[in-house]
Amino acid sequence: MKLLTFFETKKTINLSANKRMLLWLPAFLFLLIFFFYPLSKILNLTFDISTLTNENNLRITLHALRFTFYQATLSTLLTFMLGIPSAILFSKYNFFGKSFLRAITAVPFMLPTVVVAAAFNSLLGPRGLIPLLSSFLFSHSPLSTFHFPQLLITNYQFTGTLTAILLAHVFYNTTIVIRIVGNALSQLDSRLVSSARVLGANSFNVWRYITLPLLKPALFASALLVFMFNFTSFGVILLLGGTNFSTLEVEIYIRALQLPNLNLAAMLSIIQLFFTLIFSILYTKTINQINTQTNPQFSTARPPKTTKEKIFATSFIILLSSFFFLPIISLPIRSLTRLEADRAQRDQIQYGFTTDYYQELFINRRNSIFYVPPMQATINSLSYAGITVLFSLALGYPVAVALAKPTHLEKFLDPLLLLPLGSSAVMLGLGFILSFGRLISSPLFVPIAHTLIALPFVVRTLQPAIKSIPNKLRQTASTLGASPFKVWQTIDFPILSRATLTAATFAFTISLGEFGATLLINRPEYPTIPIAISKFLSQPGGLNYGQAMAMATLLMLLTTASIFVN
Amino acid sequence: MLELRAISKTFNQKNILQNISFKIKTGETICLLGASGSGKSTILKMIAGLEIPDRGQILFNSIDLSSTPPHLRDFGLVFQDFNLFPHLNVFDNIAFGLRMKNMESKGLPFDLRVGKLLEQVGLVGFEHRKVNDLSGGEQQRIALARALAPQPRLLMFDEPLGALDKSLKDDLLNQIKNILHKENIPAIYVTHDAEEAFAIADRILILHDGVIIRDDTPQKFGIIQNMLKLQKF
Repeated sequence: MKLLTFFETKKTINLSANKRMLLWLPAFLFLLIFFFYPLSKILNLTFDISTLTNENNLRITLHALRFTFYQATLSTLLTFMLGIPSAILFSKYNFFGKSFLRAITAVPFMLPTVVVAAAFNSLLGPRGLIPLLSSFLFSHSPLSTFHFPQLLITNYQFTGTLTAILLAHVFYNTTIVIRIVGNALSQLDSRLVSSARVLGANSFNVWRYITLPLLKPALFASALLVFMFNFTSFGVILLLGGTNFSTLEVEIYIRALQLPNLNLAAMLSIIQLFFTLIFSILYTKTINQINTQTNPQFSTARPPKTTKEKIFATSFIILLSSFFFLPIISLPIRSLTRLEADRAQRDQIQYGFTTDYYQELFINRRNSIFYVPPMQATINSLSYAGITVLFSLALGYPVAVALAKPTHLEKFLDPLLLLPLGSSAVMLGLGFILSFGRLISSPLFVPIAHTLIALPFVVRTLQPAIKSIPNKLRQTASTLGASPFKVWQTIDFPILSRATLTAATFAFTISLGEFGATLLINRPEYPTIPIAISKFLSQPGGLNYGQAMAMATLLMLLTTASIFVN
Repeated sequence: MLELRAISKTFNQKNILQNISFKIKTGETICLLGASGSGKSTILKMIAGLEIPDRGQILFNSIDLSSTPPHLRDFGLVFQDFNLFPHLNVFDNIAFGLRMKNMESKGLPFDLRVGKLLEQVGLVGFEHRKVNDLSGGEQQRIALARALAPQPRLLMFDEPLGALDKSLKDDLLNQIKNILHKENIPAIYVTHDAEEAFAIADRILILHDGVIIRDDTPQKFGIIQNMLKLQKF
């Protein structure tokens, strides 16, 4: 009888293990073929002795590494210069329009990099609203007789400068500091401050000995995250800075496509992966300390009272509103405004409202069968995004079910899912080029690459939702006559519909805005919206510029709409 | 009707249940009385098909249920924490079992059945209410109505009144007793509260460390023994 029990127990465990294996199998195979196999190809090229000893390779690597750290450090410092006062503003003070302003600061984080690049271009670029309007106003003012202001406008340069890159990075990442540091600030136990005050500490000493040490994990975590995003930034650097500003990511792209040296591209990818993994581990360790250092409190925010507080609050409200609102609003305005001469009308500059840029999106002006009308890019992007949603939900849902109650092995496997997120998008594209050769001419590889990036988000969104459904609900449904499929259909699915929609939105927006991997593997006959925008931005002429603005506006609307649907 | 034959279950090399055997007749209510961790709920889950016994047999009308999945057993189970489906309203919660078993096509209109059950549990007019807006007592009444709706062959209660206060408990206990009596459904009632057990059961089985140590009618437990058991649990 003992023996029988042993076998019966063993059988039960095996059945459960088999089911779990089936849940993991699709995602595991997917990652094996489309991530680990390409990664092995990259590693293989990297650890080729000729790659490692080539002096030119080492020189380029060191240069890229130095500039990557330089721009990431500068961007992080600037982000903190704007982010810390903003975090104080939002956590300490109540003011009219606070929620709206907070939401506005978070918008850039959800926007694709090409949209942010186009937005800054539309405001400050050579054809942007501010330079063109300044030029227009200047030429119609009495100052036009003086040369100096005219010289300033003529020599004005924004795109192709480090300033453009830094501004866009600050625009993107300030919300991280506001969220992490602001939350930590508002959760600081006010009794600690009171105790320090009673013990004789002045405002500065309270900040130095109480607030700052308690905020340290939040400051460090947000700094790490901002630094990591700046370190791996690609779209912003390529579109606003150009290839002169070679970060690791840009250099991988150049060595993969423009000046082919796949061995060097592979080595750079592995270096980048190494650093992002270190940053990720440090970030995970730091973020876990935040909750242990602070104590959730009711909000202590109040309206600014003293003159000093009022000046601080007002100036930062104005600064934040202009910095975050102007680029977002200038993009649609610029897509509907003519501020330069038309084709073959160089002498007669027309100003005013126009829908030409949108109409042009549907026209094949070159009458070429190889030319793809920009509107086709929208259809491609939407199709890719749809397929990405299907792929990532089909692969992510079973894994999320398994991870809702993970075994020891599954806890070990879990971080493997996050690896594609740690590696750069350009690296994923490079891996595809190295592994699949001519096969990547299939348009299906674009949504596959997007799925690799979206999958961790989908699993992370679904897993807690699945975990939160009490098993007794399923058991109750089962005793009421629901078959396993009916249990899923009537209990799991409706309860998970919200989380599923969120996960689908993540996958959809990630795919819509993805630029790095797509730039490497995309076929010219199947462009996506971000690829079309980057092409238009790189070509001369007001019409191309206008079309870039129109497409970026469409992408911004699509992304925002999908977020609002959720 | 229902028969358990020498059921045993082990979890992590610990014997949860050892050689459990008992029978229930039509219309009879038995109570499994025992302390927390004595294995009471595991017995219910095994009868419902949600757990598999390591040894022994569960039979209903002399048919072995080992190969019958939970949804085909036609048994109802009411949990302590109600487990109402949060995304469905009161009507849809009660009608859930009717839909699963396609009862409408078998000539049992949902609205009539749900209406009758709401009347039975004293919650007429609650059809369109959200279940999360109901009080604990109301939620448990809905859970009872939901379990009764598909006319189960056996009804099981797993500490159904554990989360309620005393006055509500007495009220609901009487309601359950009346309904069981009226519907003539065999029932298994699991509790650690001796008072509840003596109030509702036709037979009480005392479970201690996974073994049934006594199986008798409440009348056969003497007053002193009753007091002792009350103290024990």
